[in-house]
Amino acid sequence: MILLCGIPTEPPLALVREALDESGVPYALFNQRQFSIMEMEFEVSNGGKVGGSLRVNGSRHRLEDFTGVYIRLMDDRVLPEVKNEPADSQMRLRCRVLHDALTRWCEIAPTRVVNRAAPMGSNSSKPYQAQLIQQYGFEVPETLITNEADLVREFQRTHKGVIYKSISGMRSIVQTMTEEDDERLELIGWCPTQFQEFVEGMNVRVHTIGDQVFATAVHTEATDYRYAYRQVGDSAELTECELPDELREKCVNLTKGLGLAFAGIDLKITPDNRVYCFEVNPCPAYSYYESNTGQPIARGLAKYLAGN
Amino acid sequence: MWLVLCSANDISAQWAYHGLKRRGLDPLEMVYAEALPFSLSWEHRVTADGASINLTLPDGRLIEGGSIKGALNRLIAVPSLQVGHSPDGEYATQEFSALFLSWLYALPGPVINRATPQGLCGQWRQTSEWVWLASRAGLPVPAFKQSSNDLINEAVIERRLFPMGTPTRTLIVINGTVCGAGVPDVIREGCARLSELSGTALLGVEFVQKSDRDWLFASAMPMPDMRYGGEELLDRLASILLGEQEQSQEGKAARVSPDSLKSRSSFSTSASL
Repeated sequence: MILLCGIPTEPPLALVREALDESGVPYALFNQRQFSIMEMEFEVSNGGKVGGSLRVNGSRHRLEDFTGVYIRLMDDRVLPEVKNEPADSQMRLRCRVLHDALTRWCEIAPTRVVNRAAPMGSNSSKPYQAQLIQQYGFEVPETLITNEADLVREFQRTHKGVIYKSISGMRSIVQTMTEEDDERLELIGWCPTQFQEFVEGMNVRVHTIGDQVFATAVHTEATDYRYAYRQVGDSAELTECELPDELREKCVNLTKGLGLAFAGIDLKITPDNRVYCFEVNPCPAYSYYESNTGQPIARGLAKYLAGN
Repeated sequence: MWLVLCSANDISAQWAYHGLKRRGLDPLEMVYAEALPFSLSWEHRVTADGASINLTLPDGRLIEGGSIKGALNRLIAVPSLQVGHSPDGEYATQEFSALFLSWLYALPGPVINRATPQGLCGQWRQTSEWVWLASRAGLPVPAFKQSSNDLINEAVIERRLFPMGTPTRTLIVINGTVCGAGVPDVIREGCARLSELSGTALLGVEFVQKSDRDWLFASAMPMPDMRYGGEELLDRLASILLGEQEQSQEGKAARVSPDSLKSRSSFSTSASL
C-alpha cells in the first residue's frame, strides 16, 4: 500500500496517482483539504519500532502497511479551508497537528519516503547546498555573497556575465546584472546578496528516482528558464536527452548522498562539456517536464514507491 | 584564531570561553550572535577551491576565514533584524538564515557543532525523533505516542516526555565520550551511540533518574549547558580545537534516517527496518 499526501488535483500528485492506477498498485490518499475527516497516531516503542494508524473517513490503515509514501504537501496554514480562520482557531490547530503527526512519522517511518523533511533542508540555502554538491564531483558556479558594492564590481570585472539571485529559496528568480543594477548596487549594504558568474551552456534538468534517471534539455535564451516567457517573451522548449553513464551515476550518487530518494537536479553543460550543478530541488514539480516531453517520470516514481 | 560563537546571554559559552583561554587557545575571539547581522562587511565565496568567509564585525574586528583554526559554535538562529513584519523583513530574515548556514558550514578546522539546515549549532529534532534515536542507541526510553487528537500547538508548547519541572540529570557527550563519573556503562555507551547516530559531536542528554540504576531518557539537545561537563569537558574541547584529538562527528553531511540506518551493521535492533 502506498500513501500519497497533498492535494490530489495538483499535477505532480495527480500524475503519480494515474501511474499507480495504471499499474494496479493500491494506494491511500492523505488529502490535505479533507483534514477534518482524518485522524493519525503513531508510537515509538522500546527498540525503536514505529507503528500507528491513519483513519480517513472511517477507514483505517496501519502505518506499518505503507511501503512507500509520496509527500507533496502544500503549506497547511494557507489551505482554503483554514486560511481565513483566526490564528487561535481550533480548526486551524486541528489541521496543524494532523500535518505535524504526518511529517514527524515520515521522519522515522521504516519505509520509502519521498522525501523526508530533514534532507530536504539543504535546499534552504543555495551556497550551503553548493558546498555539498561540490563533494559529489560537480562544478558549481563561482559565487560571491556580500554587502559591499566594490566587491561586486570587482567580481563583475573577472567574469563575462554575472547573475544575482536569492540566497534562500524565497523570491528565487535568477536575473542577469545590467547597468541599471549597478546604479542601485549600494543598496546591498542593507542585506548581503548573492552574485554568481554566468555560465554559458545548455540547461539540463535531471530527475533521479532511486537509480532511475530522466534528463530533459531546456532550450531558451532566458536567464531563468522557469520564467522564460516573462524574461524573453517565449516559453522554453523542452526535449528528452541522454546523459553519459558517468554523469547519470554522479546524479544518482548526489541525490542519495543528500539523503533524497527523488530530486530535480539543475545542470548546465558548457560548450566544452563541463558540467555545472546549480541546485538540487528536493520536491520537484516534475509534471512540467513530463507534460512537455512525455518522459515517464510519474511511472518511475510509482515504480519506486511500489518498491521496484 | 579560534572563535566562540554565541548569544550575549549564553552564560555557558562565557564559561567555556574562559576555560578554553586558560587552556592555551589564543587568540580566542568571542563573537556575539546579536552583532553578526550588522557586520560592516560580509564576503562569503564559493569557488572551485572551496568556500571562504571574511567579515568585519560592527566593533571593527576582522574575522578572516583563512586564519580560523576552529570554533565552538553556539548559534541557534539569526537574531531579530528589527525590521518588523514587512514582506521585505521576512525576506531579509530568510536570506540571513541561508547565509548563516552556509558560512558557518564553511568554517575551517574543527567546529563544535557544525551548522546543519535543522539548526545552526547542530540538528534540533522533535521529541519523536530523539526518542526513536535514543531507543536505537540502546538507551531506556519511555513510551512515546503522538496523535492528531493531541491538539498541542507545538509552536507554543514543547512536546515533552515528562512534565515540566520533573528533576533531571544532564550528561554531556563530547566526541563520543561522556563527561563525568558515576554513570552506568549502558547509559555511557548509549549516550555515545546517540551522539554518533545524531551526528552531533557535542550533545546534552537529559535523564529522569528514579534511583542510581534507574535511568530514563528525557531529551537531547545540540546546545546543552556545558557546565554540566565540568573541567573534563573543557579539557576535551580544548584538545579537539587545538587539533590534538580528531573530531569524530564533523557533522558535514551528517544525516541519520531510517534509510541510512538500514546499512549499519553494528545495530542489532534493525529487524523492523
